[in-house]
Amino acid sequence: MKKEVEIKHLPMEEKNRLVAEGKMHWFFPNHIVEQIIICVVVFLILITLATLFPPTLDEMADPFSTPEHIKPEWYFLAPYQELKLAEKLMFIGAWAPKVIGVSMQGVVVGLLFAIPFLDPNPHRQYAKRKIALTLGVLGVLGFIGITIWGHFS
Amino acid sequence: MDELKLGPVTLRNRWLLKGFEMLDRRLAIKELLDEEVFNKLAPTHLGIFSCFGGITFFIFLMQIMTGLLLMIYYVPDTNSAYKSVVAITNDIPFGWAVRGLHFWGANLMVLTVMIHMGKIYFGGIYKAPRELNWVTGVALFLLTMGFSFTGYLLPWTQLSYWATVIATEAPGSMPGLGPLTKSLMLGGPDVSQITLSRFFTLHVIVLPASALALLTAHFVQIRTQGISGPM
Repeated sequence: MKKEVEIKHLPMEEKNRLVAEGKMHWFFPNHIVEQIIICVVVFLILITLATLFPPTLDEMADPFSTPEHIKPEWYFLAPYQELKLAEKLMFIGAWAPKVIGVSMQGVVVGLLFAIPFLDPNPHRQYAKRKIALTLGVLGVLGFIGITIWGHFS
Repeated sequence: MDELKLGPVTLRNRWLLKGFEMLDRRLAIKELLDEEVFNKLAPTHLGIFSCFGGITFFIFLMQIMTGLLLMIYYVPDTNSAYKSVVAITNDIPFGWAVRGLHFWGANLMVLTVMIHMGKIYFGGIYKAPRELNWVTGVALFLLTMGFSFTGYLLPWTQLSYWATVIATEAPGSMPGLGPLTKSLMLGGPDVSQITLSRFFTLHVIVLPASALALLTAHFVQIRTQGISGPM
């Protein structure tokens, strides 16, 4: 696949040939129409959710009364549960749960940033990327697992 | 000029042609439109999972629109914030819809960002020469989480208040920069009016401006590096 800037400067005959062969299609109107359809579908999903499942509104904040159960939104359940699990490290010292718990999250974010530089494998085919794919599946399952754990704990 | 060919479109209307010519003489839009819109090719090999970056961007634009509408009525003041959200939900015409869209948009955006990252990871698309665009993307993911974190406090409910108290406790107990980070976020020892003002500023100015800057970098890199080919 050529870079977009390279494709952009192909002569028109070449572009017409690519379209005729079905290898590419026109940005306008083909691609734009596709994108509009997707946007409309996403909007329909959003407005349906907003209508059928409107967001609830809790009571007004009261700094003097702590509610019994506080659970974060689903996307923060994983880090929340990880911090709760880190409390088990109390035997190392009183400092350990928070310091290790928070540092671990920093490490995860750092690893996420570094993925392209940690993966020396130039191949993209699934069969040639067994390690990366295994780690990826484990990462996704781990995230989902700890999220569900956080939800029920 | 009798007619103007723009890709599959041919303009013949005299006034449209005149207007176009007027703009073209000053801004050279013909060349730009041909290059960026009408003579431009797009790949056909992309499946539904390749759309999640675009879907995320669309939801982000929706969040800006609904966010602007919410801001017209929302009051970032500890005494009025909750009442203003109640008013948006119950009294203001279509306020419930705008708030619902913003709420579900926020939740769905986190999900679509994750699916987008999954596609890039499992498709091996982060590999050379796209390493830096992955880094830009992870930064955008963190910004998305920042949006969720700061936006959650704004209705000033029991849950949002105490969730913020708990969430800022953890970094606050870190040695070294921990206490400073916490007091920078909260503007004092507790979640207060200053916290609400800071989270509001982050949510409506700092994070959107950062996201737009990073999105520009994200898209310019796609331009330079091209859409990755089939495996």
